[in-house]
Amino acid sequence: MKSKHSRSLIAISTSALALPGIAQADAPPTAPTLSYKISNYQEDDLTREQVPFGELGRYDIDVHQFQYVAPLGRDFALFIDANHEDMSGASPWFSTANAAGEPVINMSGASGIRDERSELSIGTRYYSQNGNFGGAVGYSEENDYRATYANLSGSRNFNNDLTTVTLGFSHSADDIFPTDAELFNRVQNEDKRATSLAVSLSQVINRVATFQTALSITEQSGFLSDPYKLQDSRPDNKTQIAFSNSLRYFFIEADGALQANYRYYHDDFGISSHTLDLSWFQNINRSFQVAPMLRYYSQSAADFYTNIDDFLKPLTEPQSSDYRLSAFGAFSGGINLIADFGDWTATLTAERYVANEKYSVYAVNQPSPALVQFVRLSLGVDYSF
Amino acid sequence: MGIIRLTVLALIALTALTSCTQVRPWERGYLAREEMAWDSDVLERQLNDHIFFSKEASSGGNSAAGGGCGCN
Repeated sequence: MKSKHSRSLIAISTSALALPGIAQADAPPTAPTLSYKISNYQEDDLTREQVPFGELGRYDIDVHQFQYVAPLGRDFALFIDANHEDMSGASPWFSTANAAGEPVINMSGASGIRDERSELSIGTRYYSQNGNFGGAVGYSEENDYRATYANLSGSRNFNNDLTTVTLGFSHSADDIFPTDAELFNRVQNEDKRATSLAVSLSQVINRVATFQTALSITEQSGFLSDPYKLQDSRPDNKTQIAFSNSLRYFFIEADGALQANYRYYHDDFGISSHTLDLSWFQNINRSFQVAPMLRYYSQSAADFYTNIDDFLKPLTEPQSSDYRLSAFGAFSGGINLIADFGDWTATLTAERYVANEKYSVYAVNQPSPALVQFVRLSLGVDYSF
Repeated sequence: MGIIRLTVLALIALTALTSCTQVRPWERGYLAREEMAWDSDVLERQLNDHIFFSKEASSGGNSAAGGGCGCN
């Protein structure tokens, strides 16, 4: 978020240029901005009923995000993003049946997992009178995973700048080298590729409303299984399609804005999902904003999902007890408090996420005992020079 | 495929809207406000994308994907 000073400049220039904007702002930044956000993400412990033996604690993650955005001459902008994560905890390793025949979870390692992830990406964008074009390259490294990626996107405005079409492309080449591979008979070195294409169209409806519709297609290939799960074998190709619609509506009398986003998703693992998220940005005065949010998500199960691993089934056949491939629903709610002190902006965010098979709009034939609940707290600060 | 049909219908509806909408440049003050942006807090959006990518099976949407991670 930018300072009031730069907000005003952007408002004036945007109004004058009459650009609706879509994925990126339609004018280069007027001043350099440095942003930092620190977050803690904590998953709820599982119960002894869900995990008869071993660790109950799940992931606890600290995330540090940095971003530097600056003008480069009159028509270009520079973007630098750096992230660092510290992770500790445990994750489901395999699933068995208890005496009553119900699925129970066995967690990874007695002492849990410790990992770090560092990521750096650098990008630039050129802004013209009727659109923009840019790209970025990035690199992410963990103890057992490395990703190198690049993306390009361009937008063009039409119809007196009331309509914008954007096209985006990205490619990621990832290497997987699990820890303790020999000890646990895991794969030692595998790779994965993901190529994605996205197109979106945004339209100004009237002086207080804009709408955007978008379609993205992603092709993944290579090692798509989870190397840390004992009995996990997934197809080595996946096509993902996501169809998104977004609305922004400003309520003048309430002095607040509604952000509404809906996404339908489908992939050829057999998973479909609906995601709806709503945020209300209430302006309290010139310096403070309160923004509550609510999100609902529901997915169907992958064709090969099982909630009790079958150790007699050969790994040449697709199978997984990963809870993320099960049918479930999830609600999350949160609040953002945004304070604008001129050149400084501070944002405090609290979010609670609860997944449960009872919240699913899809049929749940095999509920997972490992669905996740978490709390996330963030504090972000922006400074415009 | 249903999703393609839905997209085409949405595009036709939006194209129809383009012919009837006229919002003058000086009437676009509300549209230019930060809370009306498609991506009003980039770091928050990136963090959310990363968390949901690692806890749910779905990803993708308005833009092309970035790099992967060992979280999913």
